[in-house]
Amino acid sequence: MDVFLQQVVNGLTLGSIYALIALGYTMVYGIIQLINFAHGEIFAAGGYLGVITLSFLQARGVLEHHPILGLALAFFLAMVYCAFMAVALERIAYRPLRGASRLSLLLSALGMSIFFSNGMMLCQGVYDKAYPHFFVSGGFHLGGVVITQMQIFIMVGSILLMVALNLFVNRTRLGKAMRSTAQDRVMSAILGINADKTIVTTFVIGASLAAAAGVMVGLYYGSVRFDMGFIPGIKAFAAAVLGGIGNLTGAMLGGMIIGMVEIFAAGYLASEYKDVFAFVILILVLYFRPTGIMGMQVDDTRV
Amino acid sequence: MLAKKSLKLVMFLVWAFILLFPMLAVKDGQFVWERLLKVMAVLTASGLLVLAYTSIPKRTLKPGFTGKGLPFRIPPKGIIAAGIVFALVFPWLTSNYARDVAINVLIYISLGLGLNIVVGLAGLLDLGYIAFYAVGAYTYALLNTHFGVPFWIALPIGCIISALAGTIIGYPTLKMRGDYLAIVTLGFGEIIRIVLNNWDKVTRGPNGILGIKAPGVFYPTIGEGGIHFAHFYMKNLFWLYYLILVIAVIVMVSVYRLNTSRIGRAWMAVREDETAAELTGIHTTRMKLWAYILGSIFAGFAGAFFAAKVRYVNPSSFVFLESALVLCIVVLGGMGSIPGILLGAAAIIVLPEVFRDLELYRMAAFGGAMTLMMVFRPEGLIPAKPRKPDDEGEGKVSLSEEGARAHG
Amino acid sequence: MKSLRVLLIMMVVCGLAAYPGLAAAKTLKIGSMSPLTGQYAADGNDIRQGVETAIAMWEKKGGVPGYDKIKYYPQDSACDGKQAVSSANKLVNLEVAGVIGAYCSSATIPASDVLNDAKIVMLTPASTNEKVTERGFKYMFRVCGRDDDQSKAAAKFLINRLKIKTVAIVDDKTTYTQGLADNLEKALGGKVKVVAREHINQGDKDFSGVLTKIKALDPDVLYMSLYNPEGNLMAIQAKRLGLRATLMSEDAVYHPNYLKIAKEAGEGTYFTFGQPPSKSIPEVKAFLDAYTAKYGEPGSYSSYAYDAANILLSAIAKVGADDPDKLAEAIRATKMQGASKFITFDEKGDSGSTYKVLVVKGGKFVPFWDPETGKDF
Repeated sequence: MDVFLQQVVNGLTLGSIYALIALGYTMVYGIIQLINFAHGEIFAAGGYLGVITLSFLQARGVLEHHPILGLALAFFLAMVYCAFMAVALERIAYRPLRGASRLSLLLSALGMSIFFSNGMMLCQGVYDKAYPHFFVSGGFHLGGVVITQMQIFIMVGSILLMVALNLFVNRTRLGKAMRSTAQDRVMSAILGINADKTIVTTFVIGASLAAAAGVMVGLYYGSVRFDMGFIPGIKAFAAAVLGGIGNLTGAMLGGMIIGMVEIFAAGYLASEYKDVFAFVILILVLYFRPTGIMGMQVDDTRV
Repeated sequence: MLAKKSLKLVMFLVWAFILLFPMLAVKDGQFVWERLLKVMAVLTASGLLVLAYTSIPKRTLKPGFTGKGLPFRIPPKGIIAAGIVFALVFPWLTSNYARDVAINVLIYISLGLGLNIVVGLAGLLDLGYIAFYAVGAYTYALLNTHFGVPFWIALPIGCIISALAGTIIGYPTLKMRGDYLAIVTLGFGEIIRIVLNNWDKVTRGPNGILGIKAPGVFYPTIGEGGIHFAHFYMKNLFWLYYLILVIAVIVMVSVYRLNTSRIGRAWMAVREDETAAELTGIHTTRMKLWAYILGSIFAGFAGAFFAAKVRYVNPSSFVFLESALVLCIVVLGGMGSIPGILLGAAAIIVLPEVFRDLELYRMAAFGGAMTLMMVFRPEGLIPAKPRKPDDEGEGKVSLSEEGARAHG
Repeated sequence: MKSLRVLLIMMVVCGLAAYPGLAAAKTLKIGSMSPLTGQYAADGNDIRQGVETAIAMWEKKGGVPGYDKIKYYPQDSACDGKQAVSSANKLVNLEVAGVIGAYCSSATIPASDVLNDAKIVMLTPASTNEKVTERGFKYMFRVCGRDDDQSKAAAKFLINRLKIKTVAIVDDKTTYTQGLADNLEKALGGKVKVVAREHINQGDKDFSGVLTKIKALDPDVLYMSLYNPEGNLMAIQAKRLGLRATLMSEDAVYHPNYLKIAKEAGEGTYFTFGQPPSKSIPEVKAFLDAYTAKYGEPGSYSSYAYDAANILLSAIAKVGADDPDKLAEAIRATKMQGASKFITFDEKGDSGSTYKVLVVKGGKFVPFWDPETGKDF
């Protein structure tokens, strides 16, 4: 029983991270129908900015006295930085291609993904970067189950961010503009909604969420690496599709399911096949519900 | 005007500074300014150069490939003849390295043409295409090392097994559309790679399969007592080049014939409007399945050759990035266009080789180049449809006539 | 039409570019192959830097007799057969005297085919798969140890020194780690019970699922047959989950980064490695000083690559690079104290391996036990 509960905790943690990344995917997809492959690299950049900020503060001796403040600053800077990065990305690689074939857009995103991950390698070196230590350790024992502070932090942090995002999308003017642009860009433009501005906002929000996830991952696993974005990027994309792409609640659900499936496959079946189980679940769900768990009818234009 | 552009440049530099500062100038908690200053200097200089070169007219983007009309124009006979002659004499003129690169280009031409059926003609976005390549390669490798099956027999078997894999993968995805299809095919591609990597008993897992024989040929020799048949393995790149050239030409001709055939037109109808296609009596599900099957057959071809060429297969040759590269060849070349894919494959394979001397910077340069090519030529290097801004309808007629001529 | 013309021009240009250039008479060309980009870039760069250090030291001594200068061509072979064959062919074209590389066995094996046919000597600093030298290639040498040697040392240590009862083995399904783990299981020969044999995938970050499973089995030792990034992460996660097991690992995880990232979670981890970097041996000290001054602390393969380059250059200094057979003979006859170990080659081209057991103590790698003498240091 302890083992089972421990696996649930593990799965929830991993799922929260996937869910946070998947949100960015799903938002961008919803608004410009683009599989933003570079999203995973934005997530990695967030992780890097966290380690850069924290080790800078540590070298100055600030971190020892104000750890919470330092952490907040790391999150803030990572999110701001990734927002800037996403704006630049949209401007350079995506905006010129608006109206072009969606495949060109997809490959432009893929090119940027390769460029960013290698760029980070060139800038920050090929070795893993270690996070300052004292956030990483510490935890509670509940019976035989270990819950670390970081796990609680990740789960609570992601839930807060997701709630905030839902409020933003549903309650604010900008959020409504986003939803209407996602539904019908031309009509929204006629009604006076600035499509460019709305798209940029979407990128900024998606990127900040990914950046937050990046810092959390860095803190949780203790290190970041230049190619860390690619695999979670693909998993998060799968999560977004599983939940029904374009649907925020679906993305969170999808992230949780993929995280859980992976952990349970690793824990009870064969760890080396855990990705196979994740993809098989995805394929099965899509076979019976071709638009994902919470998805609506996807538009008919393909490729 | 200049003021506006200068402002843009300044904005760009400010932006670049923001993005580069934390990455380049802070390392292990210390400031290191030197690298950032260097990069910023380079950026400023090149920005000023671009500013000076302001006479470039702005390219207006047209809506991308809508696929109206038949794919492409056939180049005049002279060019084709020159191309054939060049391809034939190429290995005589060059060294092994160039031959090796040329072989890779030809392999990727076959792959690109195969994927073109799925993506360009039938309009199904496939992100796991390399899986069929892997199936072809492993089929030959396993048949050859376990049962000693020679290349020429394993080649059709590899194609059949790839086609089978195409059916298995194609079938459950037929109901899915657009990007749902993308992730499912990506998933299938990953599943096949992971299985190859983990099914130790059959595939030898990560160790890969060693000791695959090169394709052998019998050739007649005249010795004592009449004509004998001697056997030799086409181990060196010189012979392998001709072999893959033949395979690529076969693929090229088949894809060309498919393009202009009934089934090709049915695919395009499915791509343009599935509902309408169904109404005109096209069996859309069957057509889509055929696209998968034919696409995977060509990949199987290429895969079997790859195994015969490297004589060692290992799952690390069949990662997602390879699928992406093939897709890139199709899109970069101009979807549905055979000359485009030739050029696309040459660009995608030769570019990383050209960048080889950049060492660490190689892949970054490649990624940047990929985005730039897409941004500047979103419809591909040689777009499938000759761009005629004034009359779109006309091209369709003349091209289908051409297609009919080629058919007859 | 235009496109074909462009294609033609491109092909001609690439053909010309690949045409063997006129080599300057007195330049010694050395190539290397290792993954400079992608997942294994860290180790690949360690190799490149190791070779560069060796060349820099030769140049400081006045270069290789008979040659004006040494030109070095590092190639990115990634970890993939296709790229490896391309870069091997490129090196053949450049007419290099010898090649250091490659890293992954999956790149070394196909590349060695090409290089062996071209009669170019190849010394791998990192590919430990038996197959690399088992094929009877005349021009293929291995400077690092073999999977079977290292696993024997590890098994000896677990049985004779730690005297444990149960072990859990995790590998990451690559040629190297899986081979090592298999051989360890064999070498333990039932004397230590293997309670779990798990596999993870390269590039994974989260091992909590597997580790929770292992925790329930409560082994005495968790043997991590992994590469460095995954090893670092697994050490942290194992300790965080409260595993009682002592950690043990091999030379691919052995890297200064383990100390930096795993920090106190890595404390007490045992490693098998060729030569503890002790400065008491002058050759090791010379390497450490030169390397650290330029690149920081050496990684696990830097010293092997450095040795490989030194072996090649000394052999060339003796017999020249014109006759590949003589060069291969000279390399086979090598007897020298390197930075990683004392190097001699056997018939197959293996350099034999003397593995030592190290332990992480106080944030440092400390020599702990010698499998040959069975005694603590």
